[in-house]
Amino acid sequence: MRKIAIAVSLSIFIAFLIATAFLIHPFGYPPSEMDDYIIENTQSETGANNAVTAVVFDYRGFDTLGEATILFTAVTGVVMLFRAKKKREK
Amino acid sequence: MIELGVLHIIIPILIVVCALLVAIFKDLIAAVISLAAMSLLLALEFYLLQAPDVAIAEAGVGATITVAIYILAIRATRRE
Amino acid sequence: MMSKIVRTMASLLILFALIYGLYIIMHGHLTPGGGFQGGAVVASGVALLIVAFGSDNIHKSLKEHHLSILESSGALIFIGLAFGGLAIVFFYNFLVGSSIFGHIPPSGPNTGDIWTAGVIPFMNIAVGLKVLAGLSAILLVMALATTVMEVEE
Repeated sequence: MRKIAIAVSLSIFIAFLIATAFLIHPFGYPPSEMDDYIIENTQSETGANNAVTAVVFDYRGFDTLGEATILFTAVTGVVMLFRAKKKREK
Repeated sequence: MIELGVLHIIIPILIVVCALLVAIFKDLIAAVISLAAMSLLLALEFYLLQAPDVAIAEAGVGATITVAIYILAIRATRRE
Repeated sequence: MMSKIVRTMASLLILFALIYGLYIIMHGHLTPGGGFQGGAVVASGVALLIVAFGSDNIHKSLKEHHLSILESSGALIFIGLAFGGLAIVFFYNFLVGSSIFGHIPPSGPNTGDIWTAGVIPFMNIAVGLKVLAGLSAILLVMALATTVMEVEE
């Protein structure tokens, strides 16, 4: 019974995946105004030739701040965990 | 010179093969090396899709840092 | 500590890894890459050193509290630069048009000029410092902890 339920749900999931793969939009199809604006005005507004870096550090700076916070928390946790373990084993 | 459309078919198949090998291998070091190969192929696929920023990040983090951390963690375990 | 062949090749290849990573950080506003990618490349060079020479020998010259100081200073520089544009809006690029990194390139594809992009090169350097110090600290501390376990067995 359990195996039948797993098989049915898995086949429904795979059918949805295949249907999504056929229904996906072509590359860059729903044209949005925001990326056209960024591509046209990056060089005059921020002066950077690399539009990706301009988006990461200027237009979407808050996301980079969150990423930096995540990295800081991860490093703090790892250093705290292993430093305590090293001191205890000595 | 291989045509670009053929590469877009070959490389995802190789990525799936490497990901399956990670689950199949019994030796943990072999599984980690297969994971590194998968990361490198994924970086190549990102580069072919014209996203070199993501390709550099994937090759730097996925293929070296992750593998080094996994191997350090495997070294701390022992075989019963 | 590995064999002499591995140590010689590692001490040669670390130069290329460091130069490539610092190039990616410095030219982040002109070519593909940026702070995170370049920091990851430099940290992979540190991983190569740890594998080749052993974590105890690396720990003689690279302490983890120095790395934490570097990482915290990178974060502070990043947030300070974000606060610098607070007269208009948080994360405003206040150096464009000024005399420091203030050139504005012509529109469209051009050869690029390193003296452009305002505050973005400084943010690249800050984030690169943060990422390379953080990932190196993680690798160094994990390697040290696992060698202690190995000796005890």
